[in-house]
Amino acid sequence: MKGRIFLLIITVFVCFSCGNSSNKKGEFVFPEADSVPSSEAEKLSPEAIADISRNISSPVEIANLLQLLEVPFSQNYLATSIDANKQSTNFDKALKMGILGADLGYLNMYEKTGSSLDVLSSIRKLADDIKVGQFFDFESIKRLSLNKSNLDSLLFISIDSYTKIDNYLRENDRGQLSALIIIGVWIEGQYLATQVVSQYPDTMLIDRIGEQKIILNDLLLLIRPYCNSGSEFTSICEDFQNLKDKYREIKITFTQGDPVSVEKDGGLVITQTEKSIVEMSDEQLKGIIEITKKIRNRLISNN
Amino acid sequence: MKKTILTISFLLAIGLLSYGQASDQFVSNCVMSAGATAKYLKDFRIQLGKAVPQSELRYKANMSLWKNTKYRFTMCNTEESKGQLILNIKDESNKVVLSSFDQKTGKTYGYVDFICNKSGIYQLLFDFTNGQQGSGVGVVSMIK
Repeated sequence: MKGRIFLLIITVFVCFSCGNSSNKKGEFVFPEADSVPSSEAEKLSPEAIADISRNISSPVEIANLLQLLEVPFSQNYLATSIDANKQSTNFDKALKMGILGADLGYLNMYEKTGSSLDVLSSIRKLADDIKVGQFFDFESIKRLSLNKSNLDSLLFISIDSYTKIDNYLRENDRGQLSALIIIGVWIEGQYLATQVVSQYPDTMLIDRIGEQKIILNDLLLLIRPYCNSGSEFTSICEDFQNLKDKYREIKITFTQGDPVSVEKDGGLVITQTEKSIVEMSDEQLKGIIEITKKIRNRLISNN
Repeated sequence: MKKTILTISFLLAIGLLSYGQASDQFVSNCVMSAGATAKYLKDFRIQLGKAVPQSELRYKANMSLWKNTKYRFTMCNTEESKGQLILNIKDESNKVVLSSFDQKTGKTYGYVDFICNKSGIYQLLFDFTNGQQGSGVGVVSMIK
C-alpha cells in the first residue's frame, strides 16, 4: 500500500515538474487537447453563450469612444449609491457586480485610481459573497491602479478576472448569475453612453447607441431561460423587452465596398470601406435615453 | 495515511496553479507585445492538433466590432507550435474582411490593424499555417 502511494506521489510530482520546467522556458500549457468549439447549430450551447458574452459591447470601448470625443470624466455617471454590504440576494449581488464592473472599466480608462479602489472593494465583497472571489486578482488590480504606468496590464487583469468568473459560473450550472453580470455590465455601459449623449450629442456616440440594436436580441436570448425564475428575473425580462421595443423602428443599413490593405512597420493595416449607417430620429433617441435611465436606476435602487 | 493524502493534495494544488500561471503569463506577454498605446479588450486561447489543410480555418468564435474603432489583432504562438497562428475575419454575409495570411506570397503577419467602419457581429477564425499542430493566443486590443 505504502509503495503504491509513494509511486502515485512520484507520478504526480513528475507530471507537474514537467509543467514547471516548461514554464521556465515560457511555454504555453493548455489543460485540454483540442479547443475547437462544437457546432454552432446548438442554440444556447455553452459556446453560443460564450459568444454572446463576447458580443456585448465592452464598457471599455464606450469609454474609449468618449475619450476620442474628448468628453471629460464625470463621477455623476457612476453607480455610487450601490452599497455592497446591503445586497441580500445572489441576484442583486451578481447584477451589481456587473454594474460596478462597467464603472471600473470607465474609471480605469480615465485613470481615476482613487475612486476605482472604492469600486474594487465593493466588487471584491460581492465576488466573495457569490463565491467567485478566488478568480478576481484584487491585489494585482489594486497595485496597477495605484501605479498608473501600465493601463494595458490593468485592463487585461480586470477583464480577464471577469472572464474567468463568467466561465466558472457557466461551467458550474450558475449561468443565471453569469447572465446577470453581463446584463449589469451592458446596462451600465448603455447608461453611460446615453447620459453623455444628452450633454454631448455627437454623431459617433448617437450611432453607437443606435447600433446596440445589433446585440439586444443576444441579451434577451441570454436572460430568457430565467424569465420565470422569480419576480426579479421577470421584471428584468420585461425591462429588456420594453427596451427592445424602443429599438424596433431604428434602421441600420450598410454600404458595400472592399477592404483596403497596406503594409506598415511589419504589420498589416486594413481599412474597411463598407459602412454601417444608423437611421434614428431625435424622438427615438430620447425614448432610448429615458428607458435606459429608468431601467438602470431601478436596478441600482434596491439596496 | 492522512499525511500522504495531504501531500498529494498539496502537490496537485501546486501543479494546477502552475498550469494556470503558465498560460496567464503567456497571454500577458502577448497582450504586452501589442504595443504601448494598445488597450486590451479580449483574447482567444487556441490549441489545435495537426489536420489536413482545409479551406476554412478551424477555431471559430464570434465577436462584435464597432465602427469608428481601430482594432489591433495580435497573434502569438508557443515555441513548440509547428505552424504559425493565423486569423481570418468574416462579416455577417460571410465575406472575408481581414486575413493575417497572404495566400499569394505565403507571408504571415504577427499583427493586423483593422479600421472598422461597419458595426456588427463578426466571425473570427483562427488556425495554424498548413493545418499544423500548435497552441497560441489571439489578442484583440484598441489602438489610437
